[in-house]
Amino acid sequence: MTATDTLPEAAAAPRKAGQYVYAASVALLCAWVIVPLYLLLINTLSSPETVNSFPKSFIPEFDLGSLQFFAGFEGMLVALKNSVVVAAMTMVLSITIGAPAGYALSRFDFRGKELFRLLILLTRAFPLPLLALPLAVLFIRTGLDDTAFGLALVHTTLAIPFAVLITFSLFSGIPVELEEAAWTLGCTRYTAFTKVVLPLILPGITASAIFAFVISWNEVFAAAVLTIENRTLTAFLLQTLGEAPLHLKFAGGFILVVPALIFIFAVRKYLFAMWGIANR
Amino acid sequence: MTLRLNLAGAVSGLAVLCTGVAAQAEVLFWSTQARPVEEAQAMRENVLAGFADGVDYQPNEEGPWLTRLQAEIQAGSGSIGVLGALEGNFAAIDPETLVDLDELGVKSTSDTYNSLAMLGTDSMQFLPWMQASYIMAANKEALQYLPEGADIDALTYDQLIEWAANVHEGVGQPKFGFPAGPKGLKHRFFQGYLYPSFTNGVVRTFASPEAVTAWQKFLELWEHTNPASTNFSFMQEQLLSGDAWIVFDHTSRLAQAFNDRPDDFVAFPAPAGPTGRGFMPVLAGIAIPSTAPDMDAAKELVKYLMQPETQIATLRATNFFPVVEAELPDDMPPSVKAAGAAVAKMSASPDANPGMLPSGLGEKSGDFSRIYVDTFERIVLAGQPIEQVLEDQKKQLMAIMEETGAPCWAPDAPSDGACPVE
Repeated sequence: MTATDTLPEAAAAPRKAGQYVYAASVALLCAWVIVPLYLLLINTLSSPETVNSFPKSFIPEFDLGSLQFFAGFEGMLVALKNSVVVAAMTMVLSITIGAPAGYALSRFDFRGKELFRLLILLTRAFPLPLLALPLAVLFIRTGLDDTAFGLALVHTTLAIPFAVLITFSLFSGIPVELEEAAWTLGCTRYTAFTKVVLPLILPGITASAIFAFVISWNEVFAAAVLTIENRTLTAFLLQTLGEAPLHLKFAGGFILVVPALIFIFAVRKYLFAMWGIANR
Repeated sequence: MTLRLNLAGAVSGLAVLCTGVAAQAEVLFWSTQARPVEEAQAMRENVLAGFADGVDYQPNEEGPWLTRLQAEIQAGSGSIGVLGALEGNFAAIDPETLVDLDELGVKSTSDTYNSLAMLGTDSMQFLPWMQASYIMAANKEALQYLPEGADIDALTYDQLIEWAANVHEGVGQPKFGFPAGPKGLKHRFFQGYLYPSFTNGVVRTFASPEAVTAWQKFLELWEHTNPASTNFSFMQEQLLSGDAWIVFDHTSRLAQAFNDRPDDFVAFPAPAGPTGRGFMPVLAGIAIPSTAPDMDAAKELVKYLMQPETQIATLRATNFFPVVEAELPDDMPPSVKAAGAAVAKMSASPDANPGMLPSGLGEKSGDFSRIYVDTFERIVLAGQPIEQVLEDQKKQLMAIMEETGAPCWAPDAPSDGACPVE
């Protein structure tokens, strides 16, 4: 800090070097995400022979054979619909349950608060294959079995730690004085929340909703055990893809990735807003 | 904003499309077999479409398959109508929870299979459904390196090693491929091929001097094996990509190579060792859980699957061969012709030493296979001394045999009570 303040001209070179490092890291991070997706796209649009050959071309040959196979694959659309329904329910449920918990954790002091924060993480400590059997028995007995709502409940359990911890840190970032000021200006506790805090926190809530969406979208085991007629796309495809020929693996992977990408692209501005990047 | 509108439009459009396909009362066929997408699709379109009541074919990995089944049994009600799985999967299930199938009056032609299907009870707990085996396959380019005087249909392990070494030398790369990946079926090679060929046993001879020789031979072969084999699980992929020229695998895991490029590959029997040409069948079965919602429809489906025409359709779809008397038509896919010929040569060879599937191990069958995989990993991958590893693993093998009380199966000599590890 002091060096740059006192010696501006000597600092120019390091600053330039710093810019290169910055640009290089940005390029690296972008490549980290984009290159695998691009390879996925190329292989999806390649004929089986090209997929198995080496070296690979970097220009797709637009062979739609692999995708056409899936177009005729029975039950794909139903599974896609189920995935969207379950993910949407998971988003709503995890926010309606998680956000109030996050608010309580940041605004109130109560006994066992630290323990509570730790316990919330515990839902992620048990592997699903362990929980799936008793859950499935319970679901069959209560009639929740094979419903989108039942599966959304399980996914909500998985998503809640993220919802609580993200909203907790967001609420903590909003000074309680803002709320107090609103109270002095005639707001009730409730209206102060809806008129002052909520607009500030909305982007963050969207971000944790995205987490919930992604968690639900990617979950396989519970979906495979708890649903039969109402399979999600991941459970429907992923289990059969593991042993499929390579070109179908790529095409199936592509089909699994694209809806999630579209969703994240659609809500990206909320995500950026949370990270403090200007809304463009 | 417009993007979101478009997205919403697309989603609702999909929803409208989907409502047309409502669920109806079909028989749920819960299977661990025919899982790869193409096979599942072929099962639905070509095998099960002919069943009048309609079938909902759902292939699953073994974890979810078993968990769901157990949950339905515990809950006392369920939606699974018919189960399809390997013999080993059924062995891990309490026979009480499966419906006795004697009254259906259908059976496989093999008495050995039928007795395996009783799972230690007096009646059929599952029906043998389809069978396969493991064979060798090679890229035709590798044939020029065959050792002199070697007959590809009657190879010995020594000739195989020499062949792999010749290819290694000729091409400069190790081209033998072995399915040692996480999903590869390597344990079956040790249980059904290597041990029977060298020791004429699987359990009794686990730590015998002959077993040491067998592992030494395997180490020699490993020197000419593509080191990436620890990632290979479906050798058809490496045959097609050229990463391996000579491979060992399950017939249905080689099928794609023969179907895609029938003129480029040959299938041939597994090699022979000092005690014969060891090989092992793979048996899949069908069963009905006691919680099946529509018992009559489930039984009809089982009967349907056992019909010769259905069995041939299943062969086309999955590359698993019929277990009932069925005349094979001439227009079978190349993979079926190649694999069928190789299996026939293998079982008809004068030195054939067929092994049975491990039986009587119940839920320990996974642990049993684990022992052979661990032994492989310690000796071959970690380079530990063979005798010591075999002594270590022998204790665990003895513990499993004593706990389950499983008697010996071929090629081990029969035993009174639990099969001893000598």
